[in-house]
Amino acid sequence: MRVNKWLRIVLPGSVLILPLCLLFVSTKAHAIPVFSRKYQTSCTTCHLDFPKLNDFGKAFKDAGFKFPQDDETFVKQAPTLLGAAAQKDVFPHSVWPGEIPGMPPIGLRMNSFFQITGNNRNRFNVLAEPGTAPQVIPRTDFQTGLFSIFMAGNFGSDIAFWVDADLNVGGSNSAGGLGDAYLRFVNIGRFLKLPKDSLSFRVGQFELDLPFTQARNINLSSYDIFAQANIGAATGAQQNVANQFTMADAAKGVEVSGGHNYGGYHYSFAVFNQNTSGLDQTESPFVPSATGFASDSSFKNVYARFAYRFNLERNSESRKAVQAAGTTGPHDHTFLNLGTFYLRGKSQQALVSGSNVLYAREPYYRAGGDFSFNYRTFNLFGVYMYGRDDNQLPVDANGDLIELPLGSDSPAAVKFVSALPAKFNGGFLEADYLIHPWLMAIGRWDVVHSSADRINGLALSPDTPFFAPFTSTRSRFTPGIQFLIRPNIKASFEYQIRPRQFVTVVTDPVTGAVTAVNPFRVNTALFGLEFVY
Amino acid sequence: MNRHINRAVDLALTALLACALQAAVLPAGTLSGKVAGVKGVSVVYIDAIPGKTFPAPAEKVVVDQKGLVFHPHVVAVLAGSTVQFLNSDKVAHNIFWPSVGGNKKMSHNLGTWPTGEKREFKFDTPGFVPLLCNVHPEMSAFILVAPTPYFALTDEEGNYKIANVPDGQYTASAWHEGMKVQSKPAKVPGDAALDFSLTK
Repeated sequence: MRVNKWLRIVLPGSVLILPLCLLFVSTKAHAIPVFSRKYQTSCTTCHLDFPKLNDFGKAFKDAGFKFPQDDETFVKQAPTLLGAAAQKDVFPHSVWPGEIPGMPPIGLRMNSFFQITGNNRNRFNVLAEPGTAPQVIPRTDFQTGLFSIFMAGNFGSDIAFWVDADLNVGGSNSAGGLGDAYLRFVNIGRFLKLPKDSLSFRVGQFELDLPFTQARNINLSSYDIFAQANIGAATGAQQNVANQFTMADAAKGVEVSGGHNYGGYHYSFAVFNQNTSGLDQTESPFVPSATGFASDSSFKNVYARFAYRFNLERNSESRKAVQAAGTTGPHDHTFLNLGTFYLRGKSQQALVSGSNVLYAREPYYRAGGDFSFNYRTFNLFGVYMYGRDDNQLPVDANGDLIELPLGSDSPAAVKFVSALPAKFNGGFLEADYLIHPWLMAIGRWDVVHSSADRINGLALSPDTPFFAPFTSTRSRFTPGIQFLIRPNIKASFEYQIRPRQFVTVVTDPVTGAVTAVNPFRVNTALFGLEFVY
Repeated sequence: MNRHINRAVDLALTALLACALQAAVLPAGTLSGKVAGVKGVSVVYIDAIPGKTFPAPAEKVVVDQKGLVFHPHVVAVLAGSTVQFLNSDKVAHNIFWPSVGGNKKMSHNLGTWPTGEKREFKFDTPGFVPLLCNVHPEMSAFILVAPTPYFALTDEEGNYKIANVPDGQYTASAWHEGMKVQSKPAKVPGDAALDFSLTK
């Protein structure tokens, strides 16, 4: 009954809201006008189709937001010195000198969207409570996106910084949030006489070193696999998992890294807070009602990534350079990048049973591999990821499982035992082709299979007429095209094609409750217009 | 940068020397004046003289790329001259031009080359050559390939002086980046003055 009520209220709205939410979380900070001003150079020096970095942009980022060589000769806005360089000679009797950008390194970004939603958006109307009007999901909708500020640069001595924050999300009176905010100490390995760029250190809040950035990718919508939380389903096989963590989340912690993203090896290792909060037990039909708030910050997760990029030019000099040489000018390398990543963490859920509060501490991990192949302006890349959360179920004093959700007559829980884990897997495959320097064509396939997805929790019956297996929660093909109207102004379009699904509504012969047993999917066309300055 | 300016001066002197030989026989004067309506360097030159050809100097002009900027930004050479293109930056550059004198069929891409090396090109066809870098689209420079050795770059205030112009009736033109070329009849009976006022 509880599930049905929730469905009637939330699900129809989520059809529209979910894509928009994904939209808003998917793209945080973009190209950096700060650097255009500092170096008096175009966005395209570092970006193909902003915010996608070209090889030079990757080298610039690796170097701590500096030109890889002779940076000072390119700077057109002189920095403000925080002490003369000669002060180094009298250290420790003086503060080690540094510098700040001569002008406040501020960039701003604004975007807005228009969405067209497919016809079957209103199929859940039948679930409206008798006597109530179904929620209207508009076929077309204008949406204000983000107004963001971002600052980045270098304090000299290889200390880089980045801060971005969404000042406004989705229109007036909507509070935004902090994106990345970190200091990065570049090439600290020099103090240990390690090879150049083999060791850097980052501290603050940052996007994990994902194979392909979620926060700064060119797509209007997120990579589904990186936005996948792991929420247990109470229906059918009992699950007591409410891990809200997604790979796209900003992590608070520290990271060491080394190597380069434009050739050769690259690694990173991060330790960060498990700082997600689980669903309130009153808000989700799929997390057992006795489950309270989930994870706290007392756990530290670890994330590691290793990748190797093979630049494939025959000429060794060109192969090792930041950009490949060509007959008509330098360009991105032809390369094959192979990588792998692993995350291990622990999620916690509280269970209130009588006067006791028990805590289920559920280790989880995410592991995956990725590749990227580039030939001139054609880039094919993809990720596969597998996720697994331990599933701790409550048992009574006799060691018997307590059926979830807890009721008033449920026996008192005394501890947890491990049960079938909550798992998911999936990934994406994307092809980007820069037809002209101002025109990018994109094709992308996203798929997520989950045994414990909140939407999938609607239908665990194996005989549902889904296009995809019943454990498939999301799969879609998303062709898109993007136009650079100016180097800092972009118009984007994408069409999210989801396998056609039908909502089947059944009535419980005993309770009379109406239930939707199929996931709801709808095609969506999204238009975006954004500018940075 | 001074090195390149000196070379440009040497080139101009060489051209003027050739003209001086002519002037030893023919009376010559100085055409001078001011280019108004613009800020920065302009070019004033005497258009092609029917029946006259001029040997190109052997000296080469250097156009450098340093700090994501072309140096110099404007350079003038006599048709048939060779220009050396240098990359002094520790980043990759490219040089190409989409046209010569507005003729897009004469576009050319010099490609890319390592830091410190030079690449040359001989400009035979008179006209303005806009230089671009396909890696850094904000970079630009201009070469005037002049049909005669009678040309000069203005100073920052727009003043110019073309010496040793043989007496005669010519057409003089003034060019400035982003402005319309203005052409005027120039009568050189000894020293003469000719001012220009450029508009967009």
